[in-house]
Amino acid sequence: MSNTTSDDSLITTEVQADSNDDRAPVNEAGTAVAARDLNVYYGDEQAINDVTMEIPEKRVTALIGPSGCGKSTFLRTINRMNDMIDICRVEGDVEFGGKNVYDADVDPVALRRKIGMVFQKPNPFPKSIRDNVAYGLKIQGFDGDVDARVEESLKGAALWDEVKDQLHSSGLELSGGQQQRLCIARAIAPDPEVILMDEPTSALDPVAASKIEDLIDDLAEEYTVIIVTHNMQQAARISDRTAVFLTGGELVEYDDTAKIFEDPEQQRVEDYITGKFG
Amino acid sequence: MATDNANADGFGEVSRVRGIAFEYLSLGASVFGLVALGVLLVYVAIDAFDLSNASPEWLLTYFVTLVVPFLAFCLYSADDPAVTRRALGALGGGLVAVAVVFTAIESLLVPIPRLNWQLAYLFVVAAPVAAYLTYVGSNGRPGAVGFGLLGRLVGGAALGLAVGTLFLVFDSLVWFLAYTLGVLPAVGLYAYGRVREASRARTAALPVGFLGLVAAVVLRDVIPTYPSDLLIYLWTIAVPIAVAGGLVVADRRGRTVAAVAAGLPLAVATAGGFWATGAGLPAPTVLLVLVTTGVPTAVYVSRVVDVGEGVVGLALPFLIAGGVVVGALVVEAWGVPAPDPWLDAGFVTEAPSRTPANAGLYPAIVGSVIIIALVAVLSFLLGVGTSVFLEEYTPGTGPIGTLTRILQVNIANLAAVPSVVYGLLGLGLFANLLGLGIGTAVTAALTLSLLILPITIISAQEAIRSVPDDLRRGSDAMGATRWQTTKNVVLPEAMPGILTGTILALGRAIGETAPLIMIGAATTVFNPPSSLFSRFSAMPMQIYTWAGFPQADFRYGVVAAGVITLLIILVGMNGTAILLRNRAERGS
Repeated sequence: MSNTTSDDSLITTEVQADSNDDRAPVNEAGTAVAARDLNVYYGDEQAINDVTMEIPEKRVTALIGPSGCGKSTFLRTINRMNDMIDICRVEGDVEFGGKNVYDADVDPVALRRKIGMVFQKPNPFPKSIRDNVAYGLKIQGFDGDVDARVEESLKGAALWDEVKDQLHSSGLELSGGQQQRLCIARAIAPDPEVILMDEPTSALDPVAASKIEDLIDDLAEEYTVIIVTHNMQQAARISDRTAVFLTGGELVEYDDTAKIFEDPEQQRVEDYITGKFG
Repeated sequence: MATDNANADGFGEVSRVRGIAFEYLSLGASVFGLVALGVLLVYVAIDAFDLSNASPEWLLTYFVTLVVPFLAFCLYSADDPAVTRRALGALGGGLVAVAVVFTAIESLLVPIPRLNWQLAYLFVVAAPVAAYLTYVGSNGRPGAVGFGLLGRLVGGAALGLAVGTLFLVFDSLVWFLAYTLGVLPAVGLYAYGRVREASRARTAALPVGFLGLVAAVVLRDVIPTYPSDLLIYLWTIAVPIAVAGGLVVADRRGRTVAAVAAGLPLAVATAGGFWATGAGLPAPTVLLVLVTTGVPTAVYVSRVVDVGEGVVGLALPFLIAGGVVVGALVVEAWGVPAPDPWLDAGFVTEAPSRTPANAGLYPAIVGSVIIIALVAVLSFLLGVGTSVFLEEYTPGTGPIGTLTRILQVNIANLAAVPSVVYGLLGLGLFANLLGLGIGTAVTAALTLSLLILPITIISAQEAIRSVPDDLRRGSDAMGATRWQTTKNVVLPEAMPGILTGTILALGRAIGETAPLIMIGAATTVFNPPSSLFSRFSAMPMQIYTWAGFPQADFRYGVVAAGVITLLIILVGMNGTAILLRNRAERGS
């Protein structure tokens, strides 16, 4: 496991928050992504209810909350993956790089090239490991040394040592945890600014999950990481900021991770974190 | 135990009678179908090869010189005493069993027409044992090598014949110009771009190739003199194949070996081509067959020698050829009566005739191959295009979604429209309205493409739909456009399924007769089609015509030979397509 001292289950009230002392305080970081008065609807159903939050750059921000609370929906509004869903409707602003990504002149495809995404279930393409990592470079018409970038990305995803001799075998031959790290390598290869992770460890065993957690910690040196997780301990261990969504798509509390886990403002949040509800 | 009383007579029993009955019924149904088809094919083969006139001595000779060495090779390759015992037991026990049962049926019940017990043994015991041993033997190293070599020889010859046939209707002069001006420079630029990492050269390849093609069409009638056909094929097909083969070998074994592996077959093929010109054979086809057989064989042999395992398997083709030659010599010397097969070299190389003995299928084979090649290209492109559009580009909701659903239902219904109706459509639309001509090859190809289009579309849609959405979302999230996602992720993953559907549909197209009758295809032609707009006949048309002839020899011998030829070409075509598909599957 990563650098946490607590192995307690969620039932215990004390979940140790690790404030990631190796990075400067959060309030010194600039803003990478900001949502303003964001409302998202699926048909008549409201999935995000008037959310306003600023996500610091080069930090790990965790989104936690019970199932159906809208945290994954929020993640997908950032790179406009919700556009793929016919009945989804977005109101309000999501600013990325000082620009509202829902402006009419924003090309969602171009936007997604600046924002990497890692999904809940590892989804490597049925191609070789090298081609998987090089995929983003290929579709973006990358003109430099592809193999060097592939190596760099695989090292960045802590996978290089395990696969350097089998770059041309299929990505599907890897284990689940390796596949997920391959997906991370794929996401960072085109050098995005933000990486979105939608429950990246929920389909993995604890050992593989802890490797990914260590990796996320390292990724925050260079990238803004926004991670949705069901695992409260994971959020406490790896994130600098934590946003708690509760049912109805409401952002209930958003603060430094240590504050959320040690002394939340709201009783509802404390109940959720200590497992009394959700 | 506390539950002693309850379990005094076990847990009771759950009845499985219905399940078992169902299992055996379905087994019986499939066995019945297979046996019926098998009996039919056996009789067709007996007629086609005149096996009812084969004397027991003749059968014995070839059994000893051909079948026994082949089985011995398979057993040697399998190298498993249990398999050897089983095979010998089946061969020996089968001999006694077939002889006894056959004689008993003949004397007690009914005489069995056109069969004797030796032939029955051949079909019922020897053939299945040989098939089983081929399978087992090909798992061993020498067997794998032997069958791999055999496959390259047969496949290469078939490929050469098919390409040679296609060039009967396609203008070789345009191809010569297109290759020289378009294909060669484009491939050269692309290769240069790959090797030197110069992306500009790679981007330029496509426009350069396109310009070359346009120039070829324009210059076709301007240029006054051309090299001979043989030189054209040597330059545009034989040399590139040899170079490609050489590159494959050079990768592994260095330049000297590569030069030999590519140069030797090329030299043999060139010599064969010039010899054929003198001997009055179609020189380009001879050249093509020699090259498409020789180069892959040389590459394969060099690889096998390199790996150094199962080199002995390379002797398999010689074993078979030797068996045939020795068998023929023995039969000749012994003077035993031999069958006079209807399906012989003359049958597949000569035109139809009024006498059964001289009847040939050659023009119809060429017609069928040309049509089926066109149908394959047309229905694949149209089918994949339509299904990609329906699955990837149309939204599921709104007015367009409704329109798509209506379209879907109609496509499904089109698959059930009888083929005669498509013939009528082809006659009205292609032959008359578009003026492509009654009974021409291009009309037939378009009609048959329409006929199988619904099947290709539906199967391609199924294949595209079965690509997991995870992969599409993964690609979208990388910032791929819809086209990039379709091209790089969806189509490669769906390709095996798409090919399976197309293969099945093509199998139907090659055997269709009714639409060909409707569009006025000739029942009998004496020359193969020389262009897409010449009149043609197809194999099923010709077979159907023969079946109506008054002479019994036509209706039994010649028709059977035609059916076997059609089946061999169909199986060859499907086999090639399945090999390609499996390669695509492994590649992904």
